[in-house]
Amino acid sequence: MSKVDRRDFLKLVGAGGVGAGAGFMLAESIKHPIEHLVPYAVPPEEYSPGVATWYNSVCGMCSAGCGITVRTREGRAKKIEGNPSHPVNQGRLCALGQAGLQTLYNPDRITAPMLRSGDRGSGSFTQTTWEDGLNRVAERLEDAQRGSGDTYLLSRGVRGNLDNLLGLFMAGLGSENLLHYDFDHPHSLYAANLRTFGEELLPYYDIQNASYLLSFGADYLNDWLSPVHNSLGFGRSRQGGDHDRGRFVQVEPKMSISGAAADEWIPAQPGTEGILALGVAHQLVASGTYTGEDLAAWTSALAPYSAASVAAQTGVSSDTVTRLGNEFARATAPLAIGGGATAGHTNAVDALVAINALNYLAGTIGQAGGVIFNPQPVTGSGGHSRQASYQAMLDLADNARAGRISVLIINNTNPVFTMPGAARFAEALESVPVIVSLSTFMDETTALADIVLPSHTYLESWGDDIPQPGVGFSVAAVSQPIVAPLYNTRGTGDIVLALGRKLELTDLMPWADTEELLKFAWQQIYERDGAEAGGDFDAFWRSVLQAGVWGENVRRADMPTIDPGVVASLGVPEPVFVGSEIDYPFVLHTYLSTSMHDGRGANLPWMQELPDPITSVVYGNWIEMNPATAAEQGLKDGDLVQVTSSEGSLEIPLLVFPAIMPGVVAMPIGQGHTEYGRYANNRGANVISILASEVDPASGGLASSATRVSISPTGKRAKLVRTGGVARQLGRDIVQHTGTDAGTAGHSAKLNSIPIVVESA
Amino acid sequence: MSVSIVHTLKVLKPAAMIALVALIGLIIGYYANAMFFPGTAPEQPIDFSHRIHAGDNEIPCLYCHVQARRSISAGVPSVNKCMGCHVEVATDRPQIRLLANYWETKEPIPWIKVHDLPDFVHFTHKRHVQADIECQTCHGPVETMDVVSREAPVKMGLCLNCHKDNEVQHGTDCWTCHK
Repeated sequence: MSKVDRRDFLKLVGAGGVGAGAGFMLAESIKHPIEHLVPYAVPPEEYSPGVATWYNSVCGMCSAGCGITVRTREGRAKKIEGNPSHPVNQGRLCALGQAGLQTLYNPDRITAPMLRSGDRGSGSFTQTTWEDGLNRVAERLEDAQRGSGDTYLLSRGVRGNLDNLLGLFMAGLGSENLLHYDFDHPHSLYAANLRTFGEELLPYYDIQNASYLLSFGADYLNDWLSPVHNSLGFGRSRQGGDHDRGRFVQVEPKMSISGAAADEWIPAQPGTEGILALGVAHQLVASGTYTGEDLAAWTSALAPYSAASVAAQTGVSSDTVTRLGNEFARATAPLAIGGGATAGHTNAVDALVAINALNYLAGTIGQAGGVIFNPQPVTGSGGHSRQASYQAMLDLADNARAGRISVLIINNTNPVFTMPGAARFAEALESVPVIVSLSTFMDETTALADIVLPSHTYLESWGDDIPQPGVGFSVAAVSQPIVAPLYNTRGTGDIVLALGRKLELTDLMPWADTEELLKFAWQQIYERDGAEAGGDFDAFWRSVLQAGVWGENVRRADMPTIDPGVVASLGVPEPVFVGSEIDYPFVLHTYLSTSMHDGRGANLPWMQELPDPITSVVYGNWIEMNPATAAEQGLKDGDLVQVTSSEGSLEIPLLVFPAIMPGVVAMPIGQGHTEYGRYANNRGANVISILASEVDPASGGLASSATRVSISPTGKRAKLVRTGGVARQLGRDIVQHTGTDAGTAGHSAKLNSIPIVVESA
Repeated sequence: MSVSIVHTLKVLKPAAMIALVALIGLIIGYYANAMFFPGTAPEQPIDFSHRIHAGDNEIPCLYCHVQARRSISAGVPSVNKCMGCHVEVATDRPQIRLLANYWETKEPIPWIKVHDLPDFVHFTHKRHVQADIECQTCHGPVETMDVVSREAPVKMGLCLNCHKDNEVQHGTDCWTCHK
């Protein structure tokens, strides 16, 4: 190559040029990217970049109303913890509460008001301004006021003064149709307490001071009423103080988290838990511990519930019934609670009344470690009175179909997902001319809306809360914005106030924003409490915001007593199941998923990747079946099966699980979304969709455990993602235990040894 | 049939030549970038001079970077703070007018970071200021610079040597900085 011709020269020049360019870019690529240091024009007082500020507020992930404290830096929320001063959670917080950050930073949030641009349900929306969106809604509401149709407001369960504000707004529109809808609202528990004590307010179940807890289906460590508070109580009862270690017995057809933590797990035939409670009550009265004046009435009312008769109905041996009765009678502070599947049968209210009766007979009403009554909410509302039962939702759907609803406003609740398919709720919505959604996220219900006015997450908005159930004394908490709004959204209260101004309802709702409303309402508390302590309202308000919670540690003076009529009406009928035993051999037991709750947590990646505490499955759901039943059916773990009820069917992987009764299959609620963002969509199946439309007549609540199903193999296999490998110890002695004889050994001998009863069908 | 290595070389030669030239180009390009576009003294939105402020007028570093003693980051002064003096001082200069513009519109000034540690390094100003480490140890003689440039090599060696010399407790443990 002594001679370089023109071609070679050009090649070399090209190579040199490309090389130099590549070298330049290489050097450029390893440089630090340009980062900016942007100071405030005017910094807020006491602000230091790099120094965290903690704000107290109220968790909005479920209805327990835990206090939270959020770490912020440079105006961004970084970490959520429990507020140590809040009496409900006392510094603790569950996984769903921790994941609240992912609602704030969720990439699938609705970022601006939107109008439907395609067919309803097509999911095509165009963005608009707040002014335009609010004007359109106001116009429609005015039309509705003039026309024949009614305006309905369907909200998630809100409490405190936001509930009052919604009430004022609807009153201003001349409509009484303000409904709250939460899938997990304990309608039957409220109804049972109304029947027993004449009061529609949840009492405080003092688990921490209970020495013997008999739980009928209530998964109190996972989802029952206030799980974080219950977990605290569980810990204290077991290990706290110098009292005896508390003993827990769990009655349920499928082992829940609480069942796994219990000293004894007793499967009773689904729907017969109330009968078992009466059997325990029968033994308690027979043992002679109850000495009230109405002993004769109780004795005769409980006469049909002898151990032998209860054993025949529940499948629990008569020895066990007698033993439970004696244990409950002898315990220093016994407490019986009911929830979960027990509250999801057609006899739920009767069963829960029976459980209340058990507490009454044990003499724990109003006692430490028993049932303690809560005072009325100190400001705003407790939220229950407007909660729509399943029956009320069916009525709403009927009204929609009949054309009696002209405008439906939906605030952050997702009935299309959480109503059984049999209710045909989405279809009913088609007949509503105007649907307005105030949702933070696109979900199955919002996808059907015409106008979307997105509301803030709870970390960006003002609000207040009266936890239900309370903790036995007056508690109220203020929810303050932790961060400035990330997107072009508004607080629900502010949206309603803006609509009020447009509709000239300012006489009813004179407040400029939610903050002003709260300050107005909290004057009451100030006058009752803060004024005595001295200082002006502003100082009181600041101290409440700093603490995040206000409380008055005084027990209620007047204690309700048991309604004498309860004795006469005592009795638990056989549960009703939809579907014949021949066509649909299995009872479908549904339960709220630890991480998804009623489905709201499914769009949070942290919740998707959190293993289920019992099965260790991540991403997706499953159906549980007893190994003996599975063997009988010729099914193996990981088989994709078709689950068919009288209302529909779905395909889901089978998980063989030893701690479930033969004849019962169990499925967690929460997965199976179709319109809830990238993390939730197309994972697993929604079990609610195949539930029968069966109500408990006494409360109107959905009997979510009253569906029978059949299981058939599809011939396909499905891979369940599990963090655990083998559910057996294989001689590794991982779980230490000191004894196996559950019947005779003392409490200490039963540590960590859960007798799993697998009876042959 | 024999295979000659010479023949193979002959075929490869033009390709090897091109690769060699490209490699030389790569090296030249790399160093040209490093030499002419070092990026250690970026152009700032306002030609702020540390020489005038910290040098000539002897304003202490912590007067403006007030957070350094109480926060992990030293922080830059707010526009508010600049205007504290510049309402009165040198109001006719073009760069100060630029500042006043930011102030009037209440816009923050998008300064460009000169000293930036990787995200995997945990450094806190508070501890170092409280231990009376001179700012210049890491930031160089800022009080002599009109345009601040990154002069001291703020690499792991600098940290470790200083921690060793000053016998910092746990000063050479990995998780002191990488946590």
